[in-house]
Amino acid sequence: MNTVFEVHVAGADPRYAAEAAQAAFALVDRLEGELSRFRHNSDITRINHLTAGQEARVGEAALECLVIARHVYDLTAGAFDIAIGTGLPSLEIDADAFAVRATTDGVRIDLGGIGKGYAVDLVAELLEEWELEQAFVHGGFSSAVALEPPSGQDGWPLTLSDPRDHSRVFSRLSMRQTALSASGVRKGDHIVDPRTGAPVSGRLAAWVALPRPAGSGSAASEARPRLAPGAVADALTTAFMMLPLDDIEALCARSPGLEAWILADGASGVADLIHLTGAAPDRAAGDSV
Amino acid sequence: MESTTFTRNPMIAITLLRILVGWHFLYEGLTKLTSPSFSAAGYLKQAKGPLAGAFHSLAASPDMLANANLITMWGLAIVGAFLILGLFTRLASLAGIAFVLMFYLAAPPWIGLSYAIPSEGSYLIINKNLVEVGALLVIFFTGSGRFAGLDRIISGLIRRRPAVAVAA
Amino acid sequence: MADENTKGKPKTPVAGGPPKLDRRDLLMGLSTVPALGLFGYAWSRQQAHRAGVEAAAAAPAAAAGVQEINVALLGAGAQGQVLMEAMLRIPGLRFRAVCDIWSEYNQKRVVNTLKRFKHEPNAYEDYREMLDKEKQLDAVVIATPDFWHAEHTIACLKAGKHVYCEKEMSNTLEGARSMVMAQRETGKLLQIGHQRRSNPRYLHAYNKLLQEAKLLGRIVTVNGQWNRGVTQDLGAPDRYVIPADRLKQYGFKDMAQFRNWRWYKGKGGGPIVDLGSHQIDIYTWFLGANPSGVMATGGRLYYPPETHEWYDTVMVVFDYQTAAGPAQAYYQTQTTNGSNGYFETFMGDQGTLLISESEVNYPGQLYRDPNAPAWDEWINKGYISAPKEVVVKEKVEGAVADVRESAPPDQHSVPISLRDPYHQPHLQNFFDSVRGKAKLNCPAEVGYESAVSVLKVNEAIEAKSRLAFKPEDFRI
Repeated sequence: MNTVFEVHVAGADPRYAAEAAQAAFALVDRLEGELSRFRHNSDITRINHLTAGQEARVGEAALECLVIARHVYDLTAGAFDIAIGTGLPSLEIDADAFAVRATTDGVRIDLGGIGKGYAVDLVAELLEEWELEQAFVHGGFSSAVALEPPSGQDGWPLTLSDPRDHSRVFSRLSMRQTALSASGVRKGDHIVDPRTGAPVSGRLAAWVALPRPAGSGSAASEARPRLAPGAVADALTTAFMMLPLDDIEALCARSPGLEAWILADGASGVADLIHLTGAAPDRAAGDSV
Repeated sequence: MESTTFTRNPMIAITLLRILVGWHFLYEGLTKLTSPSFSAAGYLKQAKGPLAGAFHSLAASPDMLANANLITMWGLAIVGAFLILGLFTRLASLAGIAFVLMFYLAAPPWIGLSYAIPSEGSYLIINKNLVEVGALLVIFFTGSGRFAGLDRIISGLIRRRPAVAVAA
Repeated sequence: MADENTKGKPKTPVAGGPPKLDRRDLLMGLSTVPALGLFGYAWSRQQAHRAGVEAAAAAPAAAAGVQEINVALLGAGAQGQVLMEAMLRIPGLRFRAVCDIWSEYNQKRVVNTLKRFKHEPNAYEDYREMLDKEKQLDAVVIATPDFWHAEHTIACLKAGKHVYCEKEMSNTLEGARSMVMAQRETGKLLQIGHQRRSNPRYLHAYNKLLQEAKLLGRIVTVNGQWNRGVTQDLGAPDRYVIPADRLKQYGFKDMAQFRNWRWYKGKGGGPIVDLGSHQIDIYTWFLGANPSGVMATGGRLYYPPETHEWYDTVMVVFDYQTAAGPAQAYYQTQTTNGSNGYFETFMGDQGTLLISESEVNYPGQLYRDPNAPAWDEWINKGYISAPKEVVVKEKVEGAVADVRESAPPDQHSVPISLRDPYHQPHLQNFFDSVRGKAKLNCPAEVGYESAVSVLKVNEAIEAKSRLAFKPEDFRI
């Protein structure tokens, strides 16, 4: 994933926390082996080599990511597309048999827009297994999950800053039991709109926050299908880089707890950060992009 | 009643014909008996031809339908078994003719009639049901049961009773 | 009814009694009864066929044409879970049981995963109970700590099961030997988990490049390593700690030893066995010979000795008498720095093969020595890829050559990828052998040869001198 993962733990024995973090990193390594398209024998690479009519058996992680990816694809009308326009709907996902069948040639999927969020979700579950509930995990700073905050605080203190200059802080947040994800255009990078194939323009950054399901703990972590807010948030931020504000607003309205922050191109200051929640939108300035 | 006798080879052929028809009847009857869901209702409901009305009302009445089903299942099986064994051959042939004629009349391949459930083959007025009726007629009239069948033993036993002596 | 006999036998009324049924009447009368018998036979055959078809359709996970194998997983720790993941991608397996002493954590997690994949495994802590109670078991996959391998494998073989046992075969030579004896006695299959023996890339390299094309010429030296960075000891979630008496019952002095058994004497063999056994096995395979001598040095250079009884840094030299002549192989393992990861390099007088299980880091490169004959034939056959860079000799006007730094040799690569999890081909080979469709790629005797070479290394480090092998050492 070419990403640095960090685990922050409060209120626990340092050696025990370090052992837990070690277990978390081993978990992330395992997920990389199953999900990365750069590994020759990952589930995703195997899918990418399927020809029409062929089927690949996959593990739980790949299946869950595919199901979530398909869900967000439908939700955003194809704005989030792990197949980047090569035909995600042509992949048949058999959740019972843990199998994926290609009905055409040439579908290429990349879990880059969802894998980090998924990994961070699973790490959060692992930390709860180790009873390290006051924790904060992130992968590359762009996918994060906050569990319980350190004692005496309401939440883990986080900032949203200008992607062009991170010293300019737009927003300070205090998060608990929430997954937070960021998408942005870094220098020289492009996000491609899978519906058109053209690079996205008009947005500088998008952030999404989703609450973790209530009562997380070993009982919930056994529940399937797994509610993976980090993965969903990851996927939504990518989509929100190209969806019109009205659509984003509508989505927020339908999903209680979903929050989004959109930074339009040409934004000069805090005033240009559009904050959308399930409640009435909170717009500091202007119209939709 | 008249009966015709033939030399040996034709009689063997007719006995073979009797076994073939009997086997067919027996299998039809047995599959219906062992199938959990057999009912003639579907077949009756899409009956066409001169007896269509009678068949439809038969299908519509549950009691009559139940009886019809029973008679069909058991009737076919028994007729088939008897034909194979050559037991009460003439009776069995008559009963067989009656069954097959009804099947024929429920879905006759007459000009102007077509059916939702297509049957195999192409037929114009004559179909395999009629052919089978013909076969049963031959069996009826040629006493193959008495040539090679249990009827031969039975008539032998009957003849043991003091009877009118038949002049050679 | 007039009654006539076609034979026209005259019926002369006989005084004193009616004509009897003669023999001919009886025979002709019963002549068609067999037809009914024939019908009955045909009918019963059809019923049986129908029942068979229904049963096959009702069997939930049986793939078309693949006979299902009932499997138990003995050892549900890190490696057991790796094997489970590979097996979940192999059709035709039914998990019947999972056995692990950590019932609170690993055992439960593996059982739950298997249930999500529609298996219904029973959970056990005691392997003897599992072998007793599971009536429908064909094979057991063993991934328990090395010091348990012998007892577990032998018990499973004697219970009539085929066994796939993780490497190293055993932490002692006697243990390994007893496993081979048990396999011979019981005649069941025993595959040792050196998974590279079934890796299609390694098989291609061995069969096509070394045996057939002899691309490397005569292999004189081999080099290999497994470098791994500093790793912390493994811990466990507080709420799932195993009670002390259960740990003791199964041979562990505490939770730390249970989690890190590989570092302890009497339990594992340290990194040279954990990591080196794979690659040293490949040395033997590719060289076609067992070593005739070994020298080794190693130490506890970094980790605390109370929790790391084995050597964390090891350097080994094996010498061989191969069919082509003497050869020498070097191997190092270290656990304080991960530079260049793990690979094996086979160096012959005509070429070099650099290969690793990790395809992403080492796609399997081959280099031709400039003095060697051209490899075009093999490129055309698709045995190796065309070279990455074609060195074009530029002719400079008026000069015979341009004097410059020598060009690097052309790099070819093994044109095969392994798309499945690393252990899948080897497990598949095991299960195919169970079905009678294949031969084991690493049967017990072959695993034993590797075990002899590998287990000698720690001895050699202690002895601080060259230890010799005799050919009989490798045979039982």
